Amino acid sequence: MPPLPDPNGVFLNIPYDEEFRSLYIAYIVGLCQLDLVPHLASEIPGGDRRLSKIIKLIQSCRYSIHDLSRVEVSVAATAVPRFNMPLELGMTITWQNLHPSRHSWFVWESEPYRIQRSASDLNGTDANIHNGTPEGVLRELSSAFWRDRMPSVPQMLTVYGLAESALNSIFVRNGTRNPYDRSVFMELCRLSSSLTTFFFSPTKPAV
Amino acid sequence: MRKPIHLAAPRPTPEEWAKHFPISKASEKALQALVDEFTAMHSNREDETVSSIEPEKRRKRASAA
Repeated sequence: MPPLPDPNGVFLNIPYDEEFRSLYIAYIVGLCQLDLVPHLASEIPGGDRRLSKIIKLIQSCRYSIHDLSRVEVSVAATAVPRFNMPLELGMTITWQNLHPSRHSWFVWESEPYRIQRSASDLNGTDANIHNGTPEGVLRELSSAFWRDRMPSVPQMLTVYGLAESALNSIFVRNGTRNPYDRSVFMELCRLSSSLTTFFFSPTKPAV
Repeated sequence: MRKPIHLAAPRPTPEEWAKHFPISKASEKALQALVDEFTAMHSNREDETVSSIEPEKRRKRASAA
């Protein structure tokens, strides 16, 4: 049996593509602002098979968010549906069914009722609809979770603006243009987490 | 509508954040500079608003108080 999950850990099951970048940053900022610790499959160094890493990550997190908004058929001539996100959601549902007290999962979408068309077995699941905007992601995070003291969506948006504007310098420092690179993810999380209590605590924020 | 989950677990400490997301000292320094700039800008917002009020209105407010 794996060890108990991190009570603040959130496994993010998201697409790693350019079009998703602003929502990815919003997820990181929003989760950190709620003092939740985001985790991505890409943050674990190589070694194990990718699927094993993902299973371990799911088991180590108390929550997971599965964003199915980009589950679609690509426009290329060799078009294939994108199955990774539903596959990982399926593994999570199995884990949660075996150990209900250890895990809770959420499905996120950009449009209402789209999930009924793409995965009708999920009928009855309340999806969080982010409308494909960073503000929508932050709004839905604030609806899905609450803490005794937490920033408002506009306050989270100001931190989102900071993270977005810092991205280029983070790319330069890490010699990459890929926002999903482990090093970039780490810096985005540290930047966002340093401002978790800024809006309601007199303590000076430190990275 | 799903009921929101109350996060009752203690917040991660700065040390725990650093352990979760290790970065180089140079990156820490660069990010700290950004955070300092951000906090200065947002902490001064109220002062900026006050200082932008016309002097006459400010005087009236002060005498009314």
